[in-house]
Amino acid sequence: MSKAILYDATKCTACRACQVACKNWNGLESEETTNWGSYENPKDLSTQTWLKMEFREVGNNGTLQWLFTRRACMHCTDAACVKVCPTGALYKRTDGFVAINKDKCTNCGYCIDACPFSIPKLDASRVSGLGDRITKCTACTTSGLNRIDNGYLPACVKTCPTGALAFGDRRTLVNTAQARVAELGGNARLYGKDELGGLHVLYILADAPEKYGLPADPKVPTYTTVWQNVLKPLGYGVAGVVGLGLLINIMVARARIISREEGN
Amino acid sequence: MQDVERFRKRAIYHHWWIVGCSFLLAVTGLFLFMETLSPGAWGGYSRLIHRIAGGCFVGGPILYFLLNPKSSLEWIREAFTWNRDDIGWLKAAPSYYFGGPEENMPPQDRSNTGQKLWMLVVIVTGLVFVVTGFLMWISGVSGIAIILHDIAFIVAGAMFLVHFSLAVFHPRMSEALRSMTTGKSSVHYAKSHHGKWYSRVMAGREQS
Repeated sequence: MSKAILYDATKCTACRACQVACKNWNGLESEETTNWGSYENPKDLSTQTWLKMEFREVGNNGTLQWLFTRRACMHCTDAACVKVCPTGALYKRTDGFVAINKDKCTNCGYCIDACPFSIPKLDASRVSGLGDRITKCTACTTSGLNRIDNGYLPACVKTCPTGALAFGDRRTLVNTAQARVAELGGNARLYGKDELGGLHVLYILADAPEKYGLPADPKVPTYTTVWQNVLKPLGYGVAGVVGLGLLINIMVARARIISREEGN
Repeated sequence: MQDVERFRKRAIYHHWWIVGCSFLLAVTGLFLFMETLSPGAWGGYSRLIHRIAGGCFVGGPILYFLLNPKSSLEWIREAFTWNRDDIGWLKAAPSYYFGGPEENMPPQDRSNTGQKLWMLVVIVTGLVFVVTGFLMWISGVSGIAIILHDIAFIVAGAMFLVHFSLAVFHPRMSEALRSMTTGKSSVHYAKSHHGKWYSRVMAGREQS
Protein backbone atom coordinates (compact mmCIF):
# COMPACT_ATOMS: atom_id res chain seq x y z
CA MET A 1 0.00 0.00 0.00
CA SER A 2 1.34 3.38 -1.04
CA LYS A 3 1.97 5.58 1.98
CA ALA A 4 2.82 9.25 2.31
CA ILE A 5 3.50 12.12 4.66
CA LEU A 6 1.40 15.25 4.13
CA TYR A 7 2.84 18.61 5.12
CA ASP A 8 0.44 21.54 5.23
CA ALA A 9 2.56 24.70 5.11
CA THR A 10 -0.52 26.79 5.91
CA LYS A 11 -0.92 25.08 9.27
CA CYS A 12 2.77 25.10 10.14
CA THR A 13 4.08 27.54 12.74
CA ALA A 14 7.71 26.50 12.20
CA CYS A 15 8.01 25.49 15.84
CA ARG A 16 10.66 22.99 14.71
CA ALA A 17 9.39 20.25 16.98
CA CYS A 18 9.67 17.89 13.98
CA GLN A 19 13.31 18.85 13.54
CA VAL A 20 13.99 18.01 17.17
CA ALA A 21 11.91 14.81 17.15
CA CYS A 22 13.80 13.58 14.09
CA LYS A 23 17.14 14.11 15.79
CA ASN A 24 15.83 12.58 18.97
CA TRP A 25 14.44 9.40 17.46
CA ASN A 26 17.36 8.83 15.07
CA GLY A 27 20.03 9.57 17.67
CA LEU A 28 21.50 12.48 15.72
CA GLU A 29 23.77 14.99 17.37
CA SER A 30 22.98 18.66 17.77
CA GLU A 31 25.08 21.01 15.73
CA GLU A 32 26.78 24.18 16.81
CA THR A 33 24.99 27.05 15.10
CA THR A 34 25.42 30.81 14.86
CA ASN A 35 22.85 33.60 14.67
CA TRP A 36 22.73 34.55 11.03
CA GLY A 37 19.60 36.66 11.23
CA SER A 38 17.02 33.91 11.00
CA TYR A 39 15.36 31.39 13.26
CA GLU A 40 16.45 28.86 10.67
CA ASN A 41 19.33 26.69 11.81
CA PRO A 42 21.49 24.89 10.91
CA LYS A 43 21.91 26.37 7.46
CA ASP A 44 21.68 23.12 5.56
CA LEU A 45 20.82 19.48 6.03
CA SER A 46 23.75 17.37 7.19
CA THR A 47 24.59 13.86 8.28
CA GLN A 48 23.27 14.90 11.71
CA THR A 49 20.24 16.85 10.48
CA TRP A 50 17.87 14.89 8.25
CA LEU A 51 14.96 17.28 8.57
CA LYS A 52 14.94 21.03 9.10
CA MET A 53 12.52 23.91 8.87
CA GLU A 54 13.29 26.69 6.43
CA PHE A 55 12.12 30.28 6.91
CA ARG A 56 11.63 32.56 3.93
CA GLU A 57 10.68 36.22 3.81
CA VAL A 58 9.08 36.84 0.45
CA GLY A 59 7.88 40.27 -0.74
CA ASN A 60 4.38 40.31 -2.20
CA ASN A 61 3.07 43.67 -3.52
CA GLY A 62 4.35 45.65 -0.59
CA THR A 63 3.39 43.06 2.00
CA LEU A 64 5.65 40.44 3.43
CA GLN A 65 5.01 36.71 3.38
CA TRP A 66 6.82 34.67 5.99
CA LEU A 67 6.86 31.21 4.47
CA PHE A 68 7.88 27.99 6.19
CA THR A 69 9.06 24.85 4.41
CA ARG A 70 9.78 21.43 5.70
CA ARG A 71 13.05 20.28 4.14
CA ALA A 72 13.77 16.54 4.11
CA CYS A 73 13.71 13.66 1.66
CA MET A 74 10.67 13.89 -0.65
CA HIS A 75 10.58 10.10 -1.23
CA CYS A 76 10.02 10.39 -4.99
CA THR A 77 8.39 7.56 -6.91
CA ASP A 78 10.93 8.12 -9.72
CA ALA A 79 13.79 8.61 -7.27
CA ALA A 80 16.96 9.81 -8.99
CA CYS A 81 19.06 8.58 -6.07
CA VAL A 82 17.72 5.03 -6.39
CA LYS A 83 18.14 5.18 -10.15
CA VAL A 84 21.79 6.25 -9.94
CA CYS A 85 22.91 4.23 -6.88
CA PRO A 86 25.53 1.83 -8.28
CA THR A 87 25.38 -0.64 -5.40
CA GLY A 88 21.65 -0.87 -4.65
CA ALA A 89 22.18 0.70 -1.22
CA LEU A 90 19.32 3.13 -1.86
CA TYR A 91 16.09 1.33 -2.63
CA LYS A 92 12.35 1.84 -2.91
CA ARG A 93 10.14 0.18 -0.35
CA THR A 94 6.78 -1.16 -1.48
CA ASP A 95 5.08 1.66 0.42
CA GLY A 96 7.00 4.17 -1.72
CA PHE A 97 9.56 5.41 0.81
CA VAL A 98 13.22 5.51 -0.16
CA ALA A 99 15.29 3.61 2.37
CA ILE A 100 19.01 2.93 2.75
CA ASN A 101 20.85 -0.35 3.21
CA LYS A 102 23.99 1.07 4.77
CA ASP A 103 25.93 -2.17 4.40
CA LYS A 104 25.85 -1.73 0.64
CA CYS A 105 26.75 1.97 0.54
CA THR A 106 30.29 2.77 -0.60
CA ASN A 107 30.19 6.59 -0.12
CA CYS A 108 30.45 7.16 -3.87
CA GLY A 109 28.27 10.27 -3.65
CA TYR A 110 26.45 9.72 -6.95
CA CYS A 111 23.09 10.27 -5.21
CA ILE A 112 24.22 13.65 -3.89
CA ASP A 113 24.72 14.88 -7.43
CA ALA A 114 21.58 13.22 -8.81
CA CYS A 115 18.99 14.33 -6.21
CA PRO A 116 16.91 17.25 -7.58
CA PHE A 117 16.22 18.39 -4.00
CA SER A 118 19.85 18.20 -2.73
CA ILE A 119 18.86 15.95 0.17
CA PRO A 120 21.47 13.17 0.69
CA LYS A 121 24.50 14.12 2.78
CA LEU A 122 27.81 12.41 3.23
CA ASP A 123 30.48 12.90 5.85
CA ALA A 124 33.58 11.55 4.14
CA SER A 125 37.15 12.74 3.88
CA ARG A 126 37.74 14.72 0.71
CA VAL A 127 41.21 13.26 0.41
CA SER A 128 40.69 9.57 1.15
CA GLY A 129 36.99 9.18 0.38
CA LEU A 130 36.57 7.26 3.62
CA GLY A 131 33.89 8.12 6.13
CA ASP A 132 30.34 7.47 7.24
CA ARG A 133 27.67 6.20 4.90
CA ILE A 134 25.19 8.36 3.06
CA THR A 135 22.45 9.81 5.25
CA LYS A 136 18.97 11.17 4.68
CA CYS A 137 15.44 10.90 6.02
CA THR A 138 14.19 7.33 5.59
CA ALA A 139 10.65 8.14 6.78
CA CYS A 140 11.58 6.35 10.02
CA THR A 141 12.31 3.06 8.26
CA THR A 142 15.98 2.94 9.26
CA SER A 143 16.92 -0.55 10.34
CA GLY A 144 16.79 -0.80 14.13
CA LEU A 145 14.85 2.47 14.33
CA ASN A 146 11.95 1.38 12.19
CA ARG A 147 8.75 3.04 13.41
CA ILE A 148 6.66 2.52 10.27
CA ASP A 149 6.85 -1.27 10.13
CA ASN A 150 6.06 -1.41 13.84
CA GLY A 151 2.85 0.54 13.41
CA TYR A 152 4.03 3.90 14.71
CA LEU A 153 3.85 7.28 13.02
CA PRO A 154 7.08 8.85 11.74
CA ALA A 155 8.68 10.80 14.60
CA CYS A 156 8.09 14.18 12.92
CA VAL A 157 4.38 13.46 12.33
CA LYS A 158 3.91 12.10 15.83
CA THR A 159 5.28 15.24 17.44
CA CYS A 160 3.67 17.91 15.24
CA PRO A 161 1.47 20.04 17.57
CA THR A 162 -0.51 21.94 14.94
CA GLY A 163 -1.65 19.13 12.65
CA ALA A 164 0.57 20.39 9.83
CA LEU A 165 1.94 16.87 9.39
CA ALA A 166 -0.09 13.77 8.67
CA PHE A 167 0.78 10.21 7.73
CA GLY A 168 -1.28 7.58 5.98
CA ASP A 169 -2.47 6.04 2.75
CA ARG A 170 -1.22 8.23 -0.08
CA ARG A 171 -4.48 8.26 -2.03
CA THR A 172 -6.48 9.33 1.03
CA LEU A 173 -3.94 12.07 1.78
CA VAL A 174 -4.13 13.39 -1.80
CA ASN A 175 -7.91 13.67 -1.43
CA THR A 176 -7.56 15.38 1.95
CA ALA A 177 -4.98 17.77 0.51
CA GLN A 178 -7.08 18.63 -2.54
CA ALA A 179 -10.05 19.44 -0.33
CA ARG A 180 -7.82 21.63 1.82
CA VAL A 181 -6.41 23.44 -1.25
CA ALA A 182 -9.96 24.12 -2.49
CA GLU A 183 -10.85 25.47 0.94
CA LEU A 184 -7.77 27.75 0.97
CA GLY A 185 -8.40 29.09 -2.54
CA GLY A 186 -6.20 31.84 -4.01
CA ASN A 187 -2.75 30.70 -5.02
CA ALA A 188 -2.86 27.61 -2.82
CA ARG A 189 -1.83 24.35 -4.45
CA LEU A 190 -0.81 20.77 -3.85
CA TYR A 191 2.83 19.96 -4.57
CA GLY A 192 4.02 16.41 -5.11
CA LYS A 193 0.92 14.74 -6.54
CA ASP A 194 2.50 14.14 -9.96
CA GLU A 195 6.05 15.46 -9.66
CA LEU A 196 8.64 12.70 -10.32
CA GLY A 197 5.93 10.08 -10.64
CA GLY A 198 4.37 11.32 -7.40
CA LEU A 199 6.20 12.28 -4.24
CA HIS A 200 5.56 10.37 -1.05
CA VAL A 201 5.83 13.64 0.85
CA LEU A 202 2.98 15.89 -0.25
CA TYR A 203 3.02 19.64 0.34
CA ILE A 204 0.07 22.00 0.67
CA LEU A 205 1.46 25.41 -0.29
CA ALA A 206 -0.17 28.82 -0.08
CA ASP A 207 1.71 30.01 -3.16
CA ALA A 208 4.03 28.96 -6.00
CA PRO A 209 6.62 26.30 -5.06
CA GLU A 210 9.51 28.58 -6.08
CA LYS A 211 8.56 30.92 -3.23
CA TYR A 212 9.15 28.01 -0.86
CA GLY A 213 12.49 27.16 -2.45
CA LEU A 214 11.05 24.09 -4.17
CA PRO A 215 11.80 23.34 -7.84
CA ALA A 216 8.65 23.92 -9.96
CA ASP A 217 9.46 20.97 -12.20
CA PRO A 218 11.93 18.59 -10.53
CA LYS A 219 13.52 16.05 -12.86
CA VAL A 220 15.68 12.97 -12.73
CA PRO A 221 18.93 14.21 -14.35
CA THR A 222 19.27 12.95 -17.94
CA TYR A 223 22.76 11.60 -17.37
CA THR A 224 21.42 9.26 -14.69
CA THR A 225 19.21 7.51 -17.24
CA VAL A 226 21.93 7.63 -19.91
CA TRP A 227 24.43 6.08 -17.51
CA GLN A 228 22.17 3.28 -16.26
CA ASN A 229 20.14 2.50 -19.40
CA VAL A 230 22.59 3.26 -22.22
CA LEU A 231 26.19 3.33 -21.09
CA LYS A 232 26.16 0.29 -18.80
CA PRO A 233 24.40 -2.03 -21.30
CA LEU A 234 26.74 -0.66 -23.98
CA GLY A 235 29.72 -1.56 -21.80
CA TYR A 236 28.50 -5.13 -21.29
CA GLY A 237 27.72 -5.41 -25.01
CA VAL A 238 31.14 -4.16 -26.10
CA ALA A 239 32.89 -6.47 -23.64
CA GLY A 240 30.84 -9.43 -24.84
CA VAL A 241 31.31 -8.79 -28.56
CA VAL A 242 35.04 -8.05 -28.25
CA GLY A 243 35.62 -11.03 -25.95
CA LEU A 244 33.77 -13.43 -28.22
CA GLY A 245 35.48 -12.03 -31.31
CA LEU A 246 38.90 -12.51 -29.75
CA LEU A 247 38.09 -16.06 -28.70
CA ILE A 248 37.12 -16.94 -32.27
CA ASN A 249 40.16 -15.06 -33.58
CA ILE A 250 42.61 -17.02 -31.45
CA MET A 251 40.99 -20.36 -32.27
CA VAL A 252 40.87 -19.72 -36.02
CA ALA A 253 44.38 -18.24 -36.18
CA ARG A 254 45.89 -21.16 -34.25
CA ALA A 255 44.07 -23.78 -36.30
CA ARG A 256 45.09 -22.23 -39.63
CA ILE A 257 48.70 -21.60 -38.70
CA ILE A 258 49.13 -25.08 -37.22
CA SER A 259 47.54 -26.72 -40.28
CA ARG A 260 49.84 -24.72 -42.58
CA GLU A 261 52.90 -25.79 -40.57
CA GLU A 262 51.77 -29.42 -40.83
CA GLY A 263 51.24 -28.93 -44.58
CA ASN A 264 54.85 -27.84 -44.88
CA MET B 1 69.40 -17.74 -32.22
CA GLN B 2 70.46 -14.13 -32.32
CA ASP B 3 68.56 -11.53 -30.32
CA VAL B 4 68.01 -7.84 -30.76
CA GLU B 5 67.08 -5.34 -28.04
CA ARG B 6 63.48 -4.19 -28.39
CA PHE B 7 62.89 -2.32 -25.14
CA ARG B 8 65.11 -0.81 -22.50
CA LYS B 9 64.73 -1.96 -18.90
CA ARG B 10 63.24 1.35 -17.76
CA ALA B 11 60.59 1.21 -20.52
CA ILE B 12 59.68 -2.30 -19.38
CA TYR B 13 59.36 -1.25 -15.73
CA HIS B 14 57.26 1.70 -16.85
CA HIS B 15 54.96 -0.58 -18.85
CA TRP B 16 54.36 -2.95 -15.95
CA TRP B 17 53.93 -0.07 -13.53
CA ILE B 18 51.07 1.20 -15.70
CA VAL B 19 49.67 -2.33 -15.93
CA GLY B 20 49.61 -2.66 -12.16
CA CYS B 21 47.97 0.74 -11.60
CA SER B 22 45.44 0.15 -14.38
CA PHE B 23 44.52 -3.25 -12.98
CA LEU B 24 43.81 -1.79 -9.51
CA LEU B 25 41.94 1.15 -11.04
CA ALA B 26 39.82 -1.08 -13.26
CA VAL B 27 38.89 -3.50 -10.47
CA THR B 28 38.06 -0.81 -7.91
CA GLY B 29 36.20 1.14 -10.59
CA LEU B 30 34.15 -1.85 -11.71
CA PHE B 31 32.64 -2.04 -8.21
CA LEU B 32 30.64 1.04 -9.19
CA PHE B 33 29.87 -0.18 -12.70
CA MET B 34 28.70 -3.73 -11.95
CA GLU B 35 26.25 -3.95 -9.09
CA THR B 36 26.99 -7.67 -8.59
CA LEU B 37 30.62 -6.84 -7.79
CA SER B 38 29.81 -3.98 -5.44
CA PRO B 39 30.25 -5.93 -2.17
CA GLY B 40 33.95 -5.97 -3.11
CA ALA B 41 34.01 -2.22 -2.60
CA TRP B 42 34.36 -3.12 1.05
CA GLY B 43 32.34 -0.22 2.35
CA GLY B 44 34.33 2.39 0.47
CA TYR B 45 37.93 1.27 0.97
CA SER B 46 38.02 0.65 -2.79
CA ARG B 47 37.75 4.43 -3.13
CA LEU B 48 41.00 4.89 -1.24
CA ILE B 49 42.74 2.24 -3.34
CA HIS B 50 41.36 3.86 -6.50
CA ARG B 51 42.81 7.22 -5.47
CA ILE B 52 46.23 5.85 -4.54
CA ALA B 53 46.39 3.84 -7.77
CA GLY B 54 45.25 6.94 -9.67
CA GLY B 55 48.08 8.94 -8.16
CA CYS B 56 50.58 6.24 -9.13
CA PHE B 57 49.04 6.09 -12.61
CA VAL B 58 49.82 9.80 -13.04
CA GLY B 59 53.09 9.79 -11.12
CA GLY B 60 54.75 6.97 -13.08
CA PRO B 61 54.61 8.61 -16.52
CA ILE B 62 55.57 12.02 -15.08
CA LEU B 63 58.66 10.52 -13.46
CA TYR B 64 59.45 8.60 -16.62
CA PHE B 65 59.10 11.76 -18.69
CA LEU B 66 61.38 13.75 -16.40
CA LEU B 67 64.04 11.04 -16.55
CA ASN B 68 63.67 10.31 -20.26
CA PRO B 69 62.21 13.40 -21.93
CA LYS B 70 63.59 12.61 -25.38
CA SER B 71 62.38 9.04 -25.70
CA SER B 72 59.03 9.97 -24.12
CA LEU B 73 58.40 12.64 -26.72
CA GLU B 74 59.60 10.24 -29.40
CA TRP B 75 57.04 7.69 -28.18
CA ILE B 76 54.23 10.25 -28.34
CA ARG B 77 55.38 11.41 -31.79
CA GLU B 78 55.38 7.81 -32.95
CA ALA B 79 51.77 7.31 -31.84
CA PHE B 80 50.67 10.29 -33.89
CA THR B 81 52.76 9.52 -36.99
CA TRP B 82 50.71 7.68 -39.58
CA ASN B 83 51.48 7.06 -43.26
CA ARG B 84 50.48 4.91 -46.24
CA ASP B 85 51.86 1.74 -44.69
CA ASP B 86 49.42 2.16 -41.84
CA ILE B 87 46.49 2.22 -44.24
CA GLY B 88 47.94 -0.90 -45.87
CA TRP B 89 48.28 -2.54 -42.48
CA LEU B 90 44.66 -1.79 -41.56
CA LYS B 91 43.51 -3.36 -44.84
CA ALA B 92 45.67 -6.46 -44.52
CA ALA B 93 45.42 -6.99 -40.75
CA PRO B 94 42.03 -8.78 -40.51
CA SER B 95 43.19 -11.56 -42.82
CA TYR B 96 46.67 -11.67 -41.29
CA TYR B 97 45.47 -11.95 -37.71
CA PHE B 98 43.05 -14.72 -38.64
CA GLY B 99 46.00 -16.72 -39.91
CA GLY B 100 46.02 -15.50 -43.51
CA PRO B 101 49.13 -14.90 -45.66
CA GLU B 102 51.87 -12.61 -44.43
CA GLU B 103 52.87 -11.14 -47.79
CA ASN B 104 50.22 -8.41 -47.86
CA MET B 105 51.40 -6.82 -44.61
CA PRO B 106 53.39 -3.64 -45.24
CA PRO B 107 56.70 -3.37 -43.36
CA GLN B 108 56.21 -1.87 -39.90
CA ASP B 109 58.16 0.52 -37.74
CA ARG B 110 59.14 -0.03 -34.12
CA SER B 111 55.44 -0.15 -33.30
CA ASN B 112 53.00 -1.51 -35.84
CA THR B 113 49.76 0.26 -36.73
CA GLY B 114 47.72 -1.66 -34.22
CA GLN B 115 50.19 -0.91 -31.46
CA LYS B 116 50.11 2.77 -32.42
CA LEU B 117 46.33 2.70 -32.27
CA TRP B 118 46.58 1.27 -28.77
CA MET B 119 49.14 3.97 -27.86
CA LEU B 120 46.69 6.63 -29.04
CA VAL B 121 43.87 5.09 -27.03
CA VAL B 122 46.11 4.96 -23.95
CA ILE B 123 47.11 8.61 -24.35
CA VAL B 124 43.60 9.96 -25.06
CA THR B 125 41.64 7.87 -22.57
CA GLY B 126 44.43 8.30 -20.02
CA LEU B 127 44.00 12.07 -20.23
CA VAL B 128 40.20 11.77 -19.98
CA PHE B 129 40.51 9.45 -16.96
CA VAL B 130 42.95 11.75 -15.18
CA VAL B 131 41.13 15.03 -15.86
CA THR B 132 37.61 13.80 -15.03
CA GLY B 133 38.87 11.68 -12.15
CA PHE B 134 40.78 14.54 -10.62
CA LEU B 135 37.78 16.88 -11.00
CA MET B 136 35.53 14.37 -9.23
CA TRP B 137 38.12 14.00 -6.50
CA ILE B 138 38.50 17.69 -5.73
CA SER B 139 35.01 19.03 -6.46
CA GLY B 140 32.70 16.04 -6.02
CA VAL B 141 30.91 13.76 -8.42
CA SER B 142 29.20 15.25 -11.46
CA GLY B 143 27.13 13.57 -14.14
CA ILE B 144 29.19 14.64 -17.13
CA ALA B 145 32.43 13.52 -15.47
CA ILE B 146 30.96 10.07 -14.70
CA ILE B 147 29.78 9.69 -18.31
CA LEU B 148 33.18 10.69 -19.78
CA HIS B 149 35.12 8.57 -17.26
CA ASP B 150 32.98 5.54 -18.16
CA ILE B 151 33.12 6.06 -21.93
CA ALA B 152 36.90 6.19 -21.59
CA PHE B 153 36.72 2.94 -19.61
CA ILE B 154 34.64 1.16 -22.25
CA VAL B 155 36.99 2.28 -25.05
CA ALA B 156 40.19 1.53 -23.14
CA GLY B 157 38.78 -1.71 -21.74
CA ALA B 158 37.80 -3.03 -25.17
CA MET B 159 41.19 -2.12 -26.61
CA PHE B 160 42.91 -3.67 -23.62
CA LEU B 161 41.16 -7.00 -24.29
CA VAL B 162 42.53 -6.90 -27.84
CA HIS B 163 46.01 -5.95 -26.61
CA PHE B 164 45.98 -8.71 -24.00
CA SER B 165 44.68 -11.40 -26.35
CA LEU B 166 47.23 -10.58 -29.04
CA ALA B 167 50.17 -10.34 -26.66
CA VAL B 168 49.41 -13.46 -24.66
CA PHE B 169 47.49 -15.87 -26.90
CA HIS B 170 48.01 -14.95 -30.52
CA PRO B 171 50.36 -17.35 -32.40
CA ARG B 172 51.63 -14.57 -34.66
CA MET B 173 52.63 -12.31 -31.78
CA SER B 174 54.77 -15.05 -30.29
CA GLU B 175 57.52 -12.74 -29.02
CA ALA B 176 55.50 -9.69 -27.95
CA LEU B 177 55.27 -10.77 -24.31
CA ARG B 178 58.89 -11.91 -24.27
CA SER B 179 60.11 -8.56 -25.55
CA MET B 180 58.10 -6.75 -22.86
CA THR B 181 59.59 -8.93 -20.11
CA THR B 182 63.19 -9.55 -21.18
CA GLY B 183 63.48 -6.59 -23.56
CA LYS B 184 64.71 -8.83 -26.37
CA SER B 185 63.24 -10.46 -29.42
CA SER B 186 64.79 -12.70 -32.05
CA VAL B 187 66.27 -11.11 -35.13
CA HIS B 188 63.83 -13.14 -37.19
CA TYR B 189 60.86 -11.75 -35.28
CA ALA B 190 62.13 -8.17 -35.45
CA LYS B 191 62.72 -8.46 -39.21
CA SER B 192 59.34 -9.95 -39.99
CA HIS B 193 57.26 -7.84 -37.59
CA HIS B 194 59.11 -4.52 -37.47
CA GLY B 195 61.09 -4.44 -40.72
CA LYS B 196 61.46 -0.68 -41.04
CA TRP B 197 62.66 -0.30 -37.50
CA TYR B 198 65.02 -3.28 -37.75
CA SER B 199 66.77 -1.97 -40.85
CA ARG B 200 67.28 1.41 -39.16
CA VAL B 201 68.74 -0.27 -36.08
CA MET B 202 71.05 -2.34 -38.26
CA ALA B 203 72.19 0.80 -40.07
CA GLY B 204 73.12 2.11 -36.62
CA ARG B 205 70.82 5.08 -36.96
CA GLU B 206 68.60 4.27 -34.04
CA GLN B 207 68.71 2.59 -30.70
CA SER B 208 65.96 0.44 -29.35
